[in-house]
Amino acid sequence: MTNHYIDLKNSDCILIMGSNAAENHPIAFKWILRAKDRGAKIIHVDPRFTRTSARCDYHVPLRSGTDIAFLGGMIKHIIDNNMIQEEYVQYYTNASQIVNPDYAFNDGLFSGYNAEKRGYNKDTWTTKKDEKGIPVRDYTLQDPNCVYQVLKRHYDRYTLDKVSSITGVSKENLLKVYNEYGATGAKDKAGTECYALGWTHHTVGSQNIRAMSIIQLLLGNMGVCGGGINALRGEPNVQGSTDHAILYNILPGYLKMPSGSVDTLAKYNEKNTPKSSDPMSVNWYQNYPKYSVSFLKAIWGDKATPENEFGYSWLPKIDDGKHYSIMHATDQMYAGKMKGFFAYGSNIAVSSPNSNKVRKGLQKLQWLVNVNIFDNETASFWKGPGVDPKTVDTEVFLLPAAASMEKEGSQSNSGRLVQWRYKAANPPGDALSDGDISMKIMDAVRELYQKEGGACPEQVLNLKWDYKDAFGKFNALKVAQQINGQYVKDVTIEDPTGKTPPEVNKKGECVPTFVKLMADGSTSCGNWIMGGSFDQKGLNKMQKRGKEDPTGLGLFAEWAYAWPVNRRIIYNRASCDLEGKPYNPKMKLLEWVGDKWVGDVPDGPAPPMADKEKGKYPFIMKVDGVGALFGPGMVEGPFAEHYEPLEGPLAKNPMSAQLTNPAMTVFKSDLDKVANADAKFPYVCTTYSATEHWCSGFTRWQPWLLEAMPEAYVEISEKLAGSLGIKNGEKVKVSSIRGEVKCVAMVTKRMTPFTVEGKVVHQVGMPCNYGWFNPEKTDNDATNLLTIAVGCANTFCPEYKCLMVNVTKA
Amino acid sequence: MKQELVKLIDLSRCTACRGCQIACKQWNELPASKTHNSGSYQNPPDLQWNTWTLIRFQEHVDSKGTLKWLFRKDGCMHCTDAACAKVCPTEALYHTQFGSVSLHVDKCIGCKECIVACPFGVPKYDETTNKIYKCDLCYTRLNGNQPPACVQSCPTGTLQIGAKDAMLKKAYSRAKELGGDANVYGDKFVDGTHVIYVLPEKAEVYENLPADPKVPLSIVVWKDVLKPAGLLVAGGVVAGAFLHYITKGPKTPDEETTSEGGKQI
Amino acid sequence: MKKGMIKATGPAERVVHWCVALSCLLLCITGMGMMYHSLNFIGTLVGGMGNLKLVHNFGGIFFTASLVCTILMWWKEAGVFSFPEDAEWIKAAGGYLWHVDNVPEVGKYNPGQKMFFLTVALFGAGMVVSGFIMWFPLGFSVKLVRLMYVLHALGFVVIFAFFFIHLYLVTIGAPGSAPAMFTGWVTKAWVKKQHPKWLKEMEKHGTLVVSGDEKTS
Repeated sequence: MTNHYIDLKNSDCILIMGSNAAENHPIAFKWILRAKDRGAKIIHVDPRFTRTSARCDYHVPLRSGTDIAFLGGMIKHIIDNNMIQEEYVQYYTNASQIVNPDYAFNDGLFSGYNAEKRGYNKDTWTTKKDEKGIPVRDYTLQDPNCVYQVLKRHYDRYTLDKVSSITGVSKENLLKVYNEYGATGAKDKAGTECYALGWTHHTVGSQNIRAMSIIQLLLGNMGVCGGGINALRGEPNVQGSTDHAILYNILPGYLKMPSGSVDTLAKYNEKNTPKSSDPMSVNWYQNYPKYSVSFLKAIWGDKATPENEFGYSWLPKIDDGKHYSIMHATDQMYAGKMKGFFAYGSNIAVSSPNSNKVRKGLQKLQWLVNVNIFDNETASFWKGPGVDPKTVDTEVFLLPAAASMEKEGSQSNSGRLVQWRYKAANPPGDALSDGDISMKIMDAVRELYQKEGGACPEQVLNLKWDYKDAFGKFNALKVAQQINGQYVKDVTIEDPTGKTPPEVNKKGECVPTFVKLMADGSTSCGNWIMGGSFDQKGLNKMQKRGKEDPTGLGLFAEWAYAWPVNRRIIYNRASCDLEGKPYNPKMKLLEWVGDKWVGDVPDGPAPPMADKEKGKYPFIMKVDGVGALFGPGMVEGPFAEHYEPLEGPLAKNPMSAQLTNPAMTVFKSDLDKVANADAKFPYVCTTYSATEHWCSGFTRWQPWLLEAMPEAYVEISEKLAGSLGIKNGEKVKVSSIRGEVKCVAMVTKRMTPFTVEGKVVHQVGMPCNYGWFNPEKTDNDATNLLTIAVGCANTFCPEYKCLMVNVTKA
Repeated sequence: MKQELVKLIDLSRCTACRGCQIACKQWNELPASKTHNSGSYQNPPDLQWNTWTLIRFQEHVDSKGTLKWLFRKDGCMHCTDAACAKVCPTEALYHTQFGSVSLHVDKCIGCKECIVACPFGVPKYDETTNKIYKCDLCYTRLNGNQPPACVQSCPTGTLQIGAKDAMLKKAYSRAKELGGDANVYGDKFVDGTHVIYVLPEKAEVYENLPADPKVPLSIVVWKDVLKPAGLLVAGGVVAGAFLHYITKGPKTPDEETTSEGGKQI
Repeated sequence: MKKGMIKATGPAERVVHWCVALSCLLLCITGMGMMYHSLNFIGTLVGGMGNLKLVHNFGGIFFTASLVCTILMWWKEAGVFSFPEDAEWIKAAGGYLWHVDNVPEVGKYNPGQKMFFLTVALFGAGMVVSGFIMWFPLGFSVKLVRLMYVLHALGFVVIFAFFFIHLYLVTIGAPGSAPAMFTGWVTKAWVKKQHPKWLKEMEKHGTLVVSGDEKTS
C-alpha cells in the first residue's frame, strides 16, 4: 500500500476492484466501512457479487481479465471530461515531458517488439532531455508529443461502446463508476483503489495496477490522505516476505538480483544506480551502492572486504534472461531437471497452477522437503489420486513447523507497518520455528562442508551466521537487528562547518536510519528499507504501541514502525501544492510551515517546488522526481493495454490484432495445454480463496472452519444452471483442458452472464482451498488441476483468475 | 446490581465473515459438526446444540430489482418475556442480572418445552447429554466485565454491547441514518429483547425471522391461565366439598333395618 | 366378615381401579412437581428433576395401560347412559347436592359416576396422547406440540378437580363406598341407598353374592 489500512477511512470514494476485501481482509474492511460512514462511495467491480459487494454502495459485474479495458475507458473519460487535477498532473507527473519521437504504438504492439524473444527493446520508450540531461517539459501539456497528449491518444480507442463490449459491463454502469470516481479529481477529494490477487493473478497483472496508477496520478490521488493505490496483501505475511525477497528476482529491500553477466560489484552498482542531472530531483536510488554494500556486509560479515568486492562474487546470480518463478521451477521439475525441492510453508500440489503438471514434476524429484504445520497434498503427493506409491522414488521429508503464533518475530502488514509479534504458545511436539529449522539445516551443511568440502564453499562457510541465543536457539531479535543495520566499526562524522560536535557512532550500534548507511563497508544492513526499525541504542521500534494520533488522520506514528523511516503515506509531499499548502485543508497530511514540513514523516526535508533554489519534486524514488504516467518500467509497454487472457472466450482481441500479452512467457510442455475460444470449454472461470480457509487449505484441519465451509463448490448463475439442468447443491464436474474436479454446484443470483462482443458469456467461480488430503475422505481435489500455468509478464504471478471450463452433472 | 445490557446487531455493517460464529464455538468449547455444502455459504444449516450463533445467508432481489445478499446473525434474542424461561419446569433457564436469559445446564432435564415455546427457534437439544443448549450471552464473560465472545471477535462493529438505553438510542439513530426500509427490531415485543437488530430491510424479508414474534398464545394459556387454574379449581373443589359436607352432609346409607326396596327419603 | 355383606366388585376390577387411581395420583404429583416451581422439591424425593420427569413419563405408560383396562372393563357398564332415568338423575344431581324427594333409581353406576368415568376416559386419553407428543416433541410440528401443552394442562385441571370430587364422595361424602375399593364387600343398606336398581337387577338375575352364603348362590 502507498497508504495504510486506517487511512482508507479518509477516502471519499473507494474503488474495490481486483479484491474481495470483505472476505479476504475482513479486519481491514472496517476502515472501508468507516469511510462509508463518512459518506464515501464504495464501489465494487468484480466478476462475482461477493460479501464485499453486499456492503458496497453498488456492485458492477465485469468479465474476468478485462480490467485494463475498464480502466482504459476511465482514463479516456477523465481526460475527455477534464476531470483531472490539473496542477498535480502538470507538475507532479511526467505529463509535461516530451516522448521520444521514435516511440510508437501500432495495433497492439509498442515500438521495439521482438516476436522471437517475445519481448521489447525499450530504447524508444524514453522522454526527451535537454543538453544538461534535464527532461524537456511543456507545462501547458499542449505539445502533441508530450506524455499527456500521447496518453490521450493511446486511450482514445477505449470508447464506451468498445469497453462495454469487451468487459460485459453496461455503458450505464461504466459511466456511473467513471463519473463517481472521476469526481475525486477535485483538489480536496481523494479516491483510493483497493486491489489484491484479483489484479495480480493475470497475464497483465502488473499492467492492471499500472493502469490504475495512471488514473490516480491524473486525479491527483497519490500521496494524499484517503488516496493512493493499495494492495491488500495476504495473511501469510505477503508484504513482509516480499520486502525480504521471497521472490527470485529481488534481494531484500527490492535491490536487484544480480545476473551472470554483471560479474563485478562496480558493474552491478553502475547498472542499478539511476542518474539524474535535474537539480530538483532527489533521485533517492542514487544511494543504491550504500544499500547494496551494506547488504553484502550483512550477509558475509567480516569476510566482506573492499578487496573482495564485499563478497559480491559469492552472491548467487541468475542467468541472463532466465526466470525462476514457481512456474519455471515446476516446469524444470517436470522436465526432470531438478534434483531436490524445498516446499517451505507451501503446498504446491494444491496451490500452483496446472497441478497435474506439478504433481508429476514432484515424482521426478530425488528428494522433497516440506516444512508445514500439517501433512498435505505436497508431502503426501506419492499417495495421491492416481499415483502408485511403488512407482515414486522421491524421498520426502516432512518437517513439522511452528504456527505463526508459536514464534516470535516481526510481521509486516499491507500498510508497510512492521509490528513485533510475541510468541503466544510453544509449538507442539517436535515442531520448530522456521528460523530454528533453517539454523539446524545450515549448521549441518556447514559442518559437512568443514569436514568434507563441497561446491561453492565460500558461500556456505563465509556466511555470517550468528543468530543464536545463549541456549542455541534461533533468535529473531538478532536477525531483526542485522536487518536494521549496524555500524561494523566506529564511525566518526565531522560536521564540515564545524558548528556542531562530531557525530560518534560505535561499532555494534544500530544504524538509526538508512540515511546513515555507507558504501565503504562501515555499515551492514540486511534490508535497507528496514533501516530505522531500531534506534541507535537498539530499541526495537516495532514493539512501540503508542496510541497518540495528534493529526486525527489515523497515522498513529507511535505505533510500531512503518518503512520507510516511519512514513505512513508515501509520496506525501504530493498532497501539498507547489507552495507546500495541503490541497485538502481538512486533511493536513503535511504542510510546509516556515522552513520545515509538519505532519507525517515527509519524503525528505527539502522545501516544496516553489522554492526555486532548494525545492524538490515530490516523487523522490523516481529518477525524474515525478509520477510516471508514461512508465517504461514494465516489460509490455509504457502504457497499459488490453490483451485477452491466454485462455479466454474470444478468438480475437476487440482492441487490436494482438490477442494476448505479447511479452508473457508461455510454457511448452505436453501438459501445458490451452483451449482458447474452444466450444468444449465454453465458460470463463475464476478462482479465489474463501474467507473461512487459508490459501491451499491447511485450515481444513480446523474442525470449526471445515464445518463452516466443508467442501469444494462452483458458483454458477441461475441462467447457466437452468440451461444445464443443474440444481443447487448438486454434484457437478468442472473440467478444463488440463484436468477436472468434482464439487458442489452453488447456483446463485450473484453470478450473472455477460454480453461480450454481442454474445452471451457465462462466468463461473471456484474457491482454491480444497484438495484430496482431508480429515475425512471426500471426492474433492485442487481447483488448480484446472488452472493454466502462465503468469504476469513482469512478475510471473500465475493467471489463476482466467481460464475456460466446462460444467457437467457429475 | 442489575444492569440491563443490550447486544446491538447492526446488520448494515455485517460482512458475514463468521468470526462470531467461530469465536462462539471457541469460547464455549463447542465441537464442530460434520456438514455438507448444500449450495449455500450458510453452514451449519441451522442453529444446533453446538452452534449457538449462526450467520444466515439470503439472496434477495428488492422491489427495484437490485440484488442484495442479506446476512443475519441468528441466535438467542434474550427476551424479557422469555417463553423459554416461562415454560422451563426446573428454572434451568433464568434471567440474569443483565437481563439476558442464561441456562443452568445441570438443572436442565431435557423436557424440550423451551424448544417448542421459543418464538425464534433458538434452544436446541443434544441427545447425548439429554439437555438443551443455547447462547447465554457469555454470562461468565459479562460477569468478568468482558464483552461476549462474538462481540469481541467482530471486526466491523456490527456487534456491540452496552447499556440498554444507549444501545437503543444508537440503534434508532443508525436506522434513521440508513433510511429506506431500515428499522430497529427487538424492542417492541416480548417486553423487549436484549439483542436488538438494525435491519436494513423490512423484517418480513428475512428468512426465519418472525415479523411479529410473541410468546405463543398456547404457552400463555398454559402457563398464565391453566397453571393457576389448576390450583384454583382443585382448591375450589376441596372447599366446595367441605362446604357441602358441612351444609348438606354426607349421603349416608339408611339403617340396615330399612325394609328391602323401601323408598328412600 | 360380617354376614349379609354384598359383593360389589371383583378382584380384577379392584386391581384395575387401584392401578388407574395410583398412576393418576402419581402423575398428578409428579406433574405438579414440574409445573409448579414451588413444588420442585418433589423432584428431590426421587433424586432430582430429571428423575421426576422419568417417573412421570414412565408413570404415564403405567397409566396408559391402566386406562386401557379401565375403559375395556367398564365401558359397557359405565360408558353408556340409559334414558330417561339418567337424565332425570342428572336433573336432580343424584340427590347429592341438594335434597331431592324423588331420585330416579340408579343401577351399578349412577350417571355421576358415568360422567366421571367418561371424563377420566376422555381426558385420560387426551393426557396420554398429549403427553406422548410432549415426550417426543421434536417429532411433531411446533404448532401441534404447543396445542398439546394446552390440552395436557387442561386435562390436568379437569382430572385433578374430578379427582377431589371423587375422593370426597367415596370417603366422607358418601360413607360406605370405600370398602368396594378395598374388599369388594359393601353393606346392603349402602347398595340399597346408592344403587337400588342394581340391587334389584342382581336379585332378579340371581347374581347377588351375599357373604356367608356364597356357596348357595
